[in-house]
Amino acid sequence: MKLYLKFDSNIAFKKIIQEQLDKLRLNYDYLGFAEIEIDDAVSGSEMKELDTCLNLYGIQIVETQKSVLVQKIKDAIIEMVYSEDKLPISNSAYLTDKLKQRYGYLSSVFTEITYTSIENFILLQKAERAKQLISTNEFTFTEIAYTLNYSSVAHFSNQFKGITGITPSAFQRIIKKRRENSINLKE
Amino acid sequence: MPKNPIHILLADDDEDDRLFFKEAFQEIKINTSVKMVNDGVELMNHLAQDNIQLPHILFLDLNMPRKNGIDCLLEIKQLAHLKDIAIAIYSTSSSEKDIEATFIQGANVYIKKPSDFNTLKKILEQVITVNWQYQTSGLNRDNYLLSL
Amino acid sequence: MKIQFIKSILNSAFFLKALFVVSIFMLLYISSVSYKHTKALNESSDLLVHSYKIQYQLEHVLSMLKDAETGQRGFIITRNPVFLKPYKSVEDQIYASFIKIKALTIVDQQQQANLDSLLKLIYARLDLMELSLESIRKNTVTESQLNENLLAGKTVMDKIRNQINKMEDLEISYFNEHQKKYEREVIFSPVSTFIFAIFSLLVFILAFIKINKDLSVLRKSNTELMITNESIQHAEVIGEFYISQWNLVTGELTYSDNLYRLLGCEPQSFKPSIENFLKFVHPEDEAIGRDAADNILIHGKTYPHYYRIIRTDGELRYFMSTGKFISDDKSKMHIGIGKDITDYHLSNVALEERNHELEQSIKELESFNRVASHDLQEPLRKIQTFISRITDNDKVNLSEQGKEYISRIDSSAHKMRILIDDLLLFSRTNKAEKIFEKTDLNIVLENANQELAHDIEEKNAVIQSVQLPILNVIAFQIQQLFVNLIGNALKYSKPDVAPIIKIECEKLAARDYPDFITDTRKKYFKISISDNGMGFDQQYAEKIFILFHRLHHTTEYVGTGIGLSICKKIAENHNGFIVAEGKPGIGASFFVYLPV
Repeated sequence: MKLYLKFDSNIAFKKIIQEQLDKLRLNYDYLGFAEIEIDDAVSGSEMKELDTCLNLYGIQIVETQKSVLVQKIKDAIIEMVYSEDKLPISNSAYLTDKLKQRYGYLSSVFTEITYTSIENFILLQKAERAKQLISTNEFTFTEIAYTLNYSSVAHFSNQFKGITGITPSAFQRIIKKRRENSINLKE
Repeated sequence: MPKNPIHILLADDDEDDRLFFKEAFQEIKINTSVKMVNDGVELMNHLAQDNIQLPHILFLDLNMPRKNGIDCLLEIKQLAHLKDIAIAIYSTSSSEKDIEATFIQGANVYIKKPSDFNTLKKILEQVITVNWQYQTSGLNRDNYLLSL
Repeated sequence: MKIQFIKSILNSAFFLKALFVVSIFMLLYISSVSYKHTKALNESSDLLVHSYKIQYQLEHVLSMLKDAETGQRGFIITRNPVFLKPYKSVEDQIYASFIKIKALTIVDQQQQANLDSLLKLIYARLDLMELSLESIRKNTVTESQLNENLLAGKTVMDKIRNQINKMEDLEISYFNEHQKKYEREVIFSPVSTFIFAIFSLLVFILAFIKINKDLSVLRKSNTELMITNESIQHAEVIGEFYISQWNLVTGELTYSDNLYRLLGCEPQSFKPSIENFLKFVHPEDEAIGRDAADNILIHGKTYPHYYRIIRTDGELRYFMSTGKFISDDKSKMHIGIGKDITDYHLSNVALEERNHELEQSIKELESFNRVASHDLQEPLRKIQTFISRITDNDKVNLSEQGKEYISRIDSSAHKMRILIDDLLLFSRTNKAEKIFEKTDLNIVLENANQELAHDIEEKNAVIQSVQLPILNVIAFQIQQLFVNLIGNALKYSKPDVAPIIKIECEKLAARDYPDFITDTRKKYFKISISDNGMGFDQQYAEKIFILFHRLHHTTEYVGTGIGLSICKKIAENHNGFIVAEGKPGIGASFFVYLPV
């Protein structure tokens, strides 16, 4: 049996943070977008323990202001790409509006920290979303192209190929065979 | 990017290719630690050691003496502690069939060795950053396919 | 057919037997009837003779008496004893006749009784006569006495006459009675005999016709059999085979003449037997022949087997034998056919060798291809990479000439790379596994468009396609075909004119088949890919499919001239065709014919 899961990473994230902080008996405020305010003084060993616990879930404690900002940008982008609505026309306007920062600043901080551009990251995320949609086998390429704001299937295919190096249909074929393969291996 | 280096492992029997690979990473402005082995057997021996730093990404040449890339790939995917290592196939061949076959066997990245040093640098940089995103940005590893 | 024939023969045999029995019975009947008839006739005539004899004797008796009477009268009148002469012998004669009549009527009680009373009357008459004569002789007789005597004589005489008449009548009535009975029989038998005779005649005619007919059928089938036999004998000689018939019940074995000829001997020059035959079989193959014979005889199995024969002239020949069992209730036969397959065998061996050689050279060609394309790539790639290292890092240290040379080396290496890539693609098209599967060509076209998405977008090309069929094809090759043809249309588009590429498809009717499709039994789809690009002169329509043939100058358009060769190869791999039509400045059309 195959299950396709849809999840709200924000809720999952909140839940994990809550559990871990409660475990260490720390009081905190959830500020949203992966930002928390710990009320008590935290010792070095407690900090390390928290870091280890959160690492289990792929969550890292980022310390600097810039890292926090990058994380916020990433979150905003992920939220944008994964929203049910159609994507906004202008990414920069969206991010400026969302983070109340100048786009130029956001862009330079992002590149400085991640060595990749915001545009690239968005493309990557869009490709990721497309991959997710393709692998459900529920949508035609035309539908996916429309959902992801592409003007045509050709445009979508072209960009998908540009990012992943493979065409959407090859991707679909590979994922399908890979699943069959892993099922065979398990058996 | 992390303060700790990204660990990279290359298995390639060709001396020139190892040289290009090493030089490319020296020029890329990312904190990396590159380790290289000469063939498949050496690779598997290396990975079998205890207490080694497992690579964040493994570059695997397909055409190697003693044990070829595909055999290594299959072996790695069978081992519980290794199967989550991101694997980039690093090969001269560019036939659709080879590419699809390695992806189906579980490779994440397929790199056709370029014939231009700058392209090589660009490709490797792209691979490292994309790989990093997959390790840090909560992307679905099952959909991690990249062909360059 | 054969069984039918046998059946009809059997039927006619039964029919003839029945006819024979019927005619025998009829003949017996007719002869018994004739015998009976003749016998009755004899009886009648005997009876007639018999009654005439009796009548004659009776008449004789009567006439004797009359003679005696006459003599007596004469004597009485004349007293001359001469007249008494007949009278004297009368008694004896009458008695003799009487004995005769007695004998004749021995079986007839009534006649015997009549005869006895006749005899009494006769004796009475004779006594009367004696009495009269005596009295006359003694002259003691008176006239009245004499008269009385004579009257008495007359009365007795009348009685005698009556008695004789009575006896005669009785005889006549016997005869009549017999005659009546005989006539009754005789009237019936000629008719029935005649009818039976006619009927028998008919039966005989029928039998004759039937026999005649059977005979002609037999003669015909005999002729046919003769012809068949003759043909088989000729066929054996022409086809270099022989026939053996082995009766598995009696063990009797016969070989056709040609077996002896094939072995290089005179026909029937040795006794047909397995052992004798095996003498000609190559010693190494003897076991094969022996096993085959054992299998036939013991296990009731027959199968084709191959063996070598050494002819009497010492020549080695290759034989193949096979057979079939034919059995009915009574017998079980094995009909074997053996054939001299030497020529076939030798040409097969030669063919196998040729095939092997061909395989070998294909393998060599493949490995050459691999070396030429795959293995050459490695060093070429390194050369290019090193060049890029030099141009990037050490360009400043190079002289102008050095820079120029480096750039030329780079450009040559680049050309070589494209050439190798295309060559590799071409050789892949040649040797790739040819897995045909039902494929929706619309999806294949979609995939091809995805592959070309970058160029399509860059050139603002419009691709118009109709609904394509689902065909049994090698999917990735057809995709390659679309990629090459659409890619070609994109590549040779007119500058500043957005390419419009039309993909159309129709199922061809046989009457629309172009000349090059010779097999009209197959059905074809015609897929056309036409563009509004630069087109080409129709005179080059065939040349463009030739490997490495290019219409355009190297620097003008990138390409090696392999793309269309690959398309041709792909069409051929599918037992299809590809042709091109071009009009310079207007556009090019490619037509791909794929069998259904």
